[in-house]
Amino acid sequence: MDDKTRFLIVSLEGESFAIPITSLLEITVPRNIQKDQKLSEIFEGKFDYRGKLIPVVNLKKVLKLPGNPGSGLIVVKSSKGVLGLLVDTAKELLETSQKPLPMPRGVLNPSLNYYAGILRNREDLVVLLNEDGLLP
Amino acid sequence: MTNNYLLFRVAERLLGVKLQGAIEILPWRRSRPVPLAYSYIEGIMEYRGAIYPVFHLAQVLGLSRTGPIGFTAYAPGGDELRKGQSIILLEESGKPFGITVDSVVKMARFEDPQDPPADSKGIDMKLVKGIQFDDDQEITLLSFERLFHAG
Repeated sequence: MDDKTRFLIVSLEGESFAIPITSLLEITVPRNIQKDQKLSEIFEGKFDYRGKLIPVVNLKKVLKLPGNPGSGLIVVKSSKGVLGLLVDTAKELLETSQKPLPMPRGVLNPSLNYYAGILRNREDLVVLLNEDGLLP
Repeated sequence: MTNNYLLFRVAERLLGVKLQGAIEILPWRRSRPVPLAYSYIEGIMEYRGAIYPVFHLAQVLGLSRTGPIGFTAYAPGGDELRKGQSIILLEESGKPFGITVDSVVKMARFEDPQDPPADSKGIDMKLVKGIQFDDDQEITLLSFERLFHAG
């Protein structure tokens, strides 16, 4: 029985975050990002994804991390539609039978919906992002 | 009732917590920071298969700000300052958690305090259970029942 799930591990400011492969559409680099002043500051602009303009999210701004927006771009599908997410690097694929562990209580405000749990990857704890909860 | 307490120091203060259930004392290590966590959370760490939230106790108690923690704390050389500190892993109502302390002092037996003190001398009262004395040293006994109630 194969009950393994696959995740893409990305890096932001030296820490690992994961996105389920089932939500991943493409791994690319940010180029020809069209600035759009009407968008809020968590967006870097818009990007032509297969003939359609999709919003590009500055994930570090969403998570209030320092640093430049990142030189990797992953395209994901979410309940808010197709999104581009800027990351520092797409690091590796993790294939695992682990079920994500819940974020312990007391760490952050429970009304924040950005995370879907925690995965182990060797010595590393990886925070699983909730692609449906990243946008307000 | 008399119970065993673990005594430790945080920001020059002698503090104690009642020993109940398993407890581990580890040399300080870097926790995995979590973006948007509460300001007194160092991060999360794994120990023997469980995930522990790690609380920066001085900040939880309002005793001192030893500089930024979490994501911003790991400037080059930042970890050097934490050498010699310890992480105590505890459990409260079935929830495992860790606290960072400057040093672990010893174990001691005390009568459980009956009443919280009138003055906790700068420590957040919601975590103070009482005051005891050991060799003329004042020890603030803490209870972490309300640690998970943020605010």
